[in-house]
Amino acid sequence: MLLVVVGMFWQTGARADNKEISNKKTISGHIKDAESGEDLIGATIYVDEIQSGTVTNLYGFYSISLEPGKYTLRFSYVGYQIVEKEINLKQNISLNIELHPVRKELEEVVITGEAKNTNVTKAEMSVTRMDVKTIKQIPALMGEVDVIKAIQLLPGVQTAAEGSSGFSVRGGSIDQNLILLDEAVVYNPSHLMGFFSVFNNDAIKDVKLYKGDIPAAYGGRLSSLLDVRMKDGNMKRFSGTGGIGTISSRFTFEGPLEKDKASFLISGRRTYADIFLAFSNDEELQGNKIYFYDLNAKVNYNINENNRIYASFYYGKDIFKNDDFGIGWGNETETIRWNHLFSKKLFSNFTLIRSVFDYYLGIPEGEANSFRWDATLRDYSLKADFNYYPNSHNKIKFGLISTFHNFQPGSAVGLGAASFFTAYSVPKNYALESGIYLNNEQSIGKRWKLKYGLRFSLFNNIGKGTIYNYNNEFVKIDSTVYPSGEIFNTYSGLEPRLGITYLLNEKSSVKASYSRNYQYIHLASNSTAGTPLDVWFPSSPNIKPQIGDQFALGYFRNFRGNTIETSVEAYYKFNQHAIDFKDHAELLLNKEFEGELRFGEAWSYGLEFLVEMQFEKLNGWVGYTLSKSMRKIPEINFGKEYQSPYDRPHDISLVLNYQINKRWLLGANWVYMTGQPVTFPTGRFEYGNLIAPVYSNRNEYRLPDYHRLDLSVTLKGKEKPGRKWHSEWNFSVYNAYGRKNPWVINFEQEPDAPSKTFAESTYLFGIVPSITYNFHF
Amino acid sequence: MKRIIYFIIASIAASSCTERIDIKLDETFTRLVVEGKITDDSTEHTVTLTRTTSYFYNQPAPRVEGAQVSLSDEENVFHLTETKAGVYKTEKMAGIIGRTYTLNIELAEEINGHSSYTATDKMMPVGVIDSIKLHYIDQWEVWEIRLFAQEPPTTDFYMFNWSKNGKLVTDTIDEVNVSDDKFFNGSYSNGIGVGWFQEEREDERLHPGDLVTLIMSTITEKYANFVWEIQDETGYNSPLFSGPPANVSSNISNGALGYFAAYPNRYASTIVGSEK
Repeated sequence: MLLVVVGMFWQTGARADNKEISNKKTISGHIKDAESGEDLIGATIYVDEIQSGTVTNLYGFYSISLEPGKYTLRFSYVGYQIVEKEINLKQNISLNIELHPVRKELEEVVITGEAKNTNVTKAEMSVTRMDVKTIKQIPALMGEVDVIKAIQLLPGVQTAAEGSSGFSVRGGSIDQNLILLDEAVVYNPSHLMGFFSVFNNDAIKDVKLYKGDIPAAYGGRLSSLLDVRMKDGNMKRFSGTGGIGTISSRFTFEGPLEKDKASFLISGRRTYADIFLAFSNDEELQGNKIYFYDLNAKVNYNINENNRIYASFYYGKDIFKNDDFGIGWGNETETIRWNHLFSKKLFSNFTLIRSVFDYYLGIPEGEANSFRWDATLRDYSLKADFNYYPNSHNKIKFGLISTFHNFQPGSAVGLGAASFFTAYSVPKNYALESGIYLNNEQSIGKRWKLKYGLRFSLFNNIGKGTIYNYNNEFVKIDSTVYPSGEIFNTYSGLEPRLGITYLLNEKSSVKASYSRNYQYIHLASNSTAGTPLDVWFPSSPNIKPQIGDQFALGYFRNFRGNTIETSVEAYYKFNQHAIDFKDHAELLLNKEFEGELRFGEAWSYGLEFLVEMQFEKLNGWVGYTLSKSMRKIPEINFGKEYQSPYDRPHDISLVLNYQINKRWLLGANWVYMTGQPVTFPTGRFEYGNLIAPVYSNRNEYRLPDYHRLDLSVTLKGKEKPGRKWHSEWNFSVYNAYGRKNPWVINFEQEPDAPSKTFAESTYLFGIVPSITYNFHF
Repeated sequence: MKRIIYFIIASIAASSCTERIDIKLDETFTRLVVEGKITDDSTEHTVTLTRTTSYFYNQPAPRVEGAQVSLSDEENVFHLTETKAGVYKTEKMAGIIGRTYTLNIELAEEINGHSSYTATDKMMPVGVIDSIKLHYIDQWEVWEIRLFAQEPPTTDFYMFNWSKNGKLVTDTIDEVNVSDDKFFNGSYSNGIGVGWFQEEREDERLHPGDLVTLIMSTITEKYANFVWEIQDETGYNSPLFSGPPANVSSNISNGALGYFAAYPNRYASTIVGSEK
């Protein structure tokens, strides 16, 4: 395998060199939004004469090398007007292009960017790019539009539990998603127990979800990559965006620091306290403080044609407290990037990243039970990525990344003189996770596109660290302490990534892909929904890295001038060293929590159908997934295979937006899923005057099927020429027909007749209406 | 810490709704259930034998009658007599700290293919209670029993029961407080809260002059796990904090359920004063 890949690179290189002699010239530059100066990611450059082209990278950069001659170049991007350029190519040229967004009200005067067949022709599959505009049109819980809630509506993506920000991609666990905000890992993307995610839509430019076929440049998670990019800030003029909602308000301000050279963006969001608790009749509950806030900031500076720097920052916290106790958690990320052009054909980006997730829990000083419990995970990363465009047929990416992880899984200490608690700490530990990759996207003739790459990942546990040693029964025998700086354990892996696209014709293609991923850090969480009390832990002498293989095959077909895009994808995934937890596992504040882990295998397979529509007035998609997700772990469920908690055989989502006229927009989405697998009692026994359950095999039952309809109406304010202030009202209803979807089913004893037992379903939401006012200037 | 988690669940539960629903459940095979204990109190110690039933059986568990039940420590064997259907008692006697007790059961009829069952547990050493005090907590509307005692440097597991005027308040197993000493090993307890009387419950509400008694027992790690597990599996289960449901462990052989426990009891009492 490796030889084949290396061989292909060698050939590519050789051919590139030959062509070099034949005097190819390069056209390169950035494609930007003409109004804001934002780089456009994934914009298309099409060269009529060669009937081929390229797309811009994550920084809006493109490069294409052609024989000298006359060419017609077309620059396009969905929702923007096309720009055509006639070029007489004699030498290398820089060509920066600004595209104007299409305004509905100006429709009659411009040629709109026609829908493209990139989904058919691109050498990648199992990928969805989501427009922030699309996300904003989806009706949302409490009107709080949300990136994660939107991607949960895609085929192959399952919500972990009602209202949760945790998601499972193609049957994988929620810790197998690599969630990046401007390249920095966001370890816990949830606010308020998961009802909202940490991504403030107003600060976001681009969202891309890879459900498999993860690019070689990324690694460390088995199931998916959610790549979220923040806006860079308006280069042209000062502008603001904001909203006043049912539960939160937000405001974003951006503008040039120096026109077309440097810009900034700052964005904040905060919820109104006690939203849920205020509804409570219980006065005690009303006395509690519960809120979250987010802050995003970014600056970028175009030093010159060949150099640009970006600095981005995110900080978010959740607070939940009263006089007697408090809990808080949050993420913090910082990214500094430097784009540098070594030549017209070699683009590079160097990145410095810091990412922190922490939480605390405590009872204030003065009581015998006063304590504070802290847990932190800190990452520091260095990254270098290169894009090399040798000719119009090859796009080579290579680079490396190294991340230093600093885990402090939990330490609790008594507070004040009165406290009776002593200190208890789970030992800190350190690890270095590195990766180096090489990937090429190659087109062969008009019909074939290949993507082949290899990533080599390396993981080191570094002292100072304490490792507990366990016997075959997972009982601790003794411990080993490793001195500071010593590399005491190493894992490594070769991760091939392959993709092939065969164009049947302009409108349809067949694609196949294979990828292998290694995951070295894992989440100790027994919860299906995801809690803030996350403990991430590294692989160690006791814990092997998880290995995931995924095969996928797809058929892509567009209809009606690419306004209807359809696809069918089949996948099969196999996960070695899958992690689950023993019965009654204790994962929090437990020095010996590694002894609570059990290892086995997990696999899933499925079929995903997607129809996307992009008409004049109507747009949206219908997705259907048929899938299975299983696990088998020797010490769990008597060693028999069982359904993973994310096994949802049937999953339908329907997302539609209808533009009635220039001012009115209707939105609707409907989801249907097979109920979540659960374990129910199949017997009972009495002990200590209590009735206790005797359970079925693990996940042998299911909750009732889940379905829900959400609706929204958006009314835009009147547009007048010259008016800067644009506003809209959004009215939305979550769970419009009031389906009582069980969040959990509990089995309880009748208080007055203790021998009687009954089942009780808890559902989180009835019909939830909300109003949001959004503005933009 | 658990209380905080319960509180968070409670606040989510407060904003959500519940509804009784009908569910059809299969029935698993029948197993023997043992509830037995021996303490260092001089009393008649009881072992109760019942069977498992379907989950919606809706009647008291069927008793297992006519069994031969005996208890032995390292020196003596005590035979238990069936005083009521399925209830087996020793003569008046006291267990001895440090001894390992073995329970032997011979059933008249097999259950799940077995007629002989056995279980062992060790009576652990116990510390000294210096005193207890009562403290009213407004926020929670509870009277808290605060404990003053030296915690020994060994790894210990505690079970606390409490009574009002001689009547046990913690009369169901989900009310007892079981704790390990992980977070306070070897410290002086300084008045940590170990038991709670809830003001809103008629039978727990305290009045001046009431006699309050705390019973502190040292139990084995296995029994502590058993009690935690049964408390977890019978308590409110939420997708946020609860792991997947799992069967409660047991120390009875041959797949029987329940527990036979041996532990010492230490008592401390106080009278409720006139002020909250």
